[in-house]
Amino acid sequence: MEQSWIATPWVVVALIGAGLVALGLVALVLTTSVYKHVICAKYLFSGWKAVVPLVSAMPAALGVFLLILVFAIMDGFAQDTREVTRGTLADIIVDAHFEGLPYYDDFAARIEKIDGVEVATPVIQTFAMIRVKPRFPAVRATVQPCLLIGIRPGEKTQVGRFQQYLERQQVPENEPWKAALFPADQLLTVPPAVVEARREAGLPDRPGTIVGKGLVSYPAKEIKPEKVDLRAVVILAWSVVGLLVLGVAAIGYRALRRYSRTTSAAGLAALYLLVVPAIGVVLLAAQGLALVTGDAEGPTLSWPTWTAAGVLAVGWAAAAIFVFLGRERRFFWLRPVGFMHLLGCAAALLAFWSSGLRYGPHEVAREQVVDNPVVPYGGEIVVSTIPISAKGAIETEVGGVPRVNARALAIVDYFKSGFWENDASHVYVDFSVAQGLAGMAGRPAAGPDEPAVPARASQIQVKIRDPSKSATIVERIRDAWRRFVAERPDAAGMVSVNTWETQQKTILGVVEMEKNITALMLGLMFLGFGVLIALISYVMAYIKSRDVGILKALGARDVGVGSLFLGYGFIVGLLGTAAGLVGSLLMLHYLDPIEVWVNQTLHTDVFPRTTYYFEHIPRHLSAAWCVGVSLSVLALSTLASLAGGLLAAIKQPVETLRNE
Amino acid sequence: MSEPLERQTRDGPILQASGLVKDYWMGPSRLRVLQGVSLSVRRGEFLCVLGPSGSGKSTLLHLLGLLDRPTEGRVVFEGQDAFDQPKRWRDRMRNEAIGFVFQFYYLMPDLTVLGNTLLPAMVRTSALSWPFVRRRYRGQALEVLKDLGLGERVGHLPKELSGGERQRAAIARALVHGPRLLFADEPTGNLDSATGAEIMKVLARLNHKGGLTVVMVTHDERIARQADRVLHLQDGRLLHGA
Repeated sequence: MEQSWIATPWVVVALIGAGLVALGLVALVLTTSVYKHVICAKYLFSGWKAVVPLVSAMPAALGVFLLILVFAIMDGFAQDTREVTRGTLADIIVDAHFEGLPYYDDFAARIEKIDGVEVATPVIQTFAMIRVKPRFPAVRATVQPCLLIGIRPGEKTQVGRFQQYLERQQVPENEPWKAALFPADQLLTVPPAVVEARREAGLPDRPGTIVGKGLVSYPAKEIKPEKVDLRAVVILAWSVVGLLVLGVAAIGYRALRRYSRTTSAAGLAALYLLVVPAIGVVLLAAQGLALVTGDAEGPTLSWPTWTAAGVLAVGWAAAAIFVFLGRERRFFWLRPVGFMHLLGCAAALLAFWSSGLRYGPHEVAREQVVDNPVVPYGGEIVVSTIPISAKGAIETEVGGVPRVNARALAIVDYFKSGFWENDASHVYVDFSVAQGLAGMAGRPAAGPDEPAVPARASQIQVKIRDPSKSATIVERIRDAWRRFVAERPDAAGMVSVNTWETQQKTILGVVEMEKNITALMLGLMFLGFGVLIALISYVMAYIKSRDVGILKALGARDVGVGSLFLGYGFIVGLLGTAAGLVGSLLMLHYLDPIEVWVNQTLHTDVFPRTTYYFEHIPRHLSAAWCVGVSLSVLALSTLASLAGGLLAAIKQPVETLRNE
Repeated sequence: MSEPLERQTRDGPILQASGLVKDYWMGPSRLRVLQGVSLSVRRGEFLCVLGPSGSGKSTLLHLLGLLDRPTEGRVVFEGQDAFDQPKRWRDRMRNEAIGFVFQFYYLMPDLTVLGNTLLPAMVRTSALSWPFVRRRYRGQALEVLKDLGLGERVGHLPKELSGGERQRAAIARALVHGPRLLFADEPTGNLDSATGAEIMKVLARLNHKGGLTVVMVTHDERIARQADRVLHLQDGRLLHGA
């Protein structure tokens, strides 16, 4: 996937363009006056003032971070919704609603003859009530609405990714050999062992059902064996204290130097910082020892933990040495290097922290809706429906009372797509069973006054070879339907032929709308960041107006002095963009452990499974979006720096060089 | 003006100002700071403009030094009407032919003494060619700094220097590119008398031994007495003929 993306012509053109722009920038930098580079470097990396550009880079960093993170999650929502919706349905759906479509096998056979169609299978779909009696005697039975879906499992697995969403009989895409273990046409068959066990328990034989796991699970918080190591948090806290001490030491160093040039507060700070990683390493070693010797079944430390801890230790040490050496003027550039190392340490901390969450031995509480079924494998549920006649009327008993069809079913598997909407509503049964429940089974002629009623299906689901041709094939199926009705007038009825996207346009539309609104809000936020960067740049040029006057008095041109601030904005934007990019990628990579930690720490649920559709926070990272956002923010921060650049350019030197 | 430009440039005054008027607007009200000042500066001359505070000395210096544009009048620098020339020309003159020394030194706080001294050279040199000329410029700067008694202070930041040392560093920055005209705006105004005298000695030495043309403005008569010629400025007008 990644390689094909990179190989597309526009990416190659974009890369060539970026290369040319970079070359142009290098040429510009080399041919411009050297004072701009020297002054800009001083503004960026001059001692403790290096904090100023780091703070200035924050809006750009925050902009990139939020734009990438939020859009990745929103895009993940959209992509996963589409993925699961399509996988659960089919490419094209011929929908005859509740009244049903007669002669469905004949029409399905005709559809399969259409060029481009791979498979077509009839499906029953009707609303029903499901009664669930939990295995715990004290708990009463629950009744809730559901969507009863009658399928021919062998065919259904061919039109979508149905079998991938089964818990017990799953055949993942990367493990096709499992298909031999779980033959598709027997997915709804009650295994002999279950039949035997039921008979021994004195229970009657029941047809099999695959029930959405959300329907037969407790909608309550359960303890999930999620591994969290609180000692990692201790180390984190220790490191944060180290950061704070560094800041205090820095301020103290400045203050002390005013009174005594021999005070070595920075040396003390460096000493402290050298001690911190040592303690971190000792703690890590203790953790490793406890895990290895204390709990034989527990998780062991893996390489990410050690790597992160190593980076942390080396980073702290290097930062300490650099900051210490940076006291000497000739090594002034080491201070910003030290600061950059501290940033690197923060990133390493995040990595170490998350790996600690993953590999530590502690268990945390997490809301778990679909992993704890109250009806076990082989257990019973009861499904009740009100059948609808071919004319669209509710079928009634003698006396006009609505007829209710009910049937007990034995659970042979759980349906778990990760899309909560489906997992908490779908009940799959064999096609013929569903036909009986929905009143679509048909009946033979009972005499001259009562002609035969043909069996019906709610839908015909169609798999096509090339999804990009779905619109054309939809038209062909519609034509086929018109011809079919012309041949068999008694099949006429309200039938719609749609692609899966049209069929599910409500949910997909909502997700797309949310995504668009988010994009709009992020766009406005993007402009807000631009204004903020412009303000910082303006204030920076205002503060440095004395320098502007000096430079112009020495013959620097207006444009040159203005471009100095533009270059400053570019570099600050570059730093911010890099920090935001790294931060967002790390955040996305460690989103699940971070969610667990936030839930546990704040006693909240940032992603409730009953509100959102997915079991995990979805995310879809687009390389093109990352590059686009990074370049846009970089361009924005450079453009916004025009505010400072213009101020510097139009500033008259005499305005700042007057005698005070 | 009918003389050939070359001869005029070689033998004539290095700087001429005629009818200089400078107005500042404060809302609707106009403040006329200079009211038709005319003067001429000869090559190698040490000229002092003496006047009380608010008389327009600094404004006059800024106009003569091509830092600001007059409301009316002309400034002729080495035979060229400065404000008829493009701005780029005036920028180049400030970088190559003119040096400035200010009362408050105006050194770049983030650069060392050497860095400040090299600044005019850095302004006119591209990053590409800097590695090839840096050694030469550095040698010149060190020579000037040594000459001014700052040989041991080249690596220090301005904040680590005394007032006199800062002013000498500012003079070094103004001299390193070999200017033909040096403007000094109250160069001793921020210094004690001993240090001020020391700075004046430096300026006098540069004028007498180096032949550098110096234009200085001050309000201190004792300082002004060390110049070859003194002009009195009051309320934006010169009291004696230029």
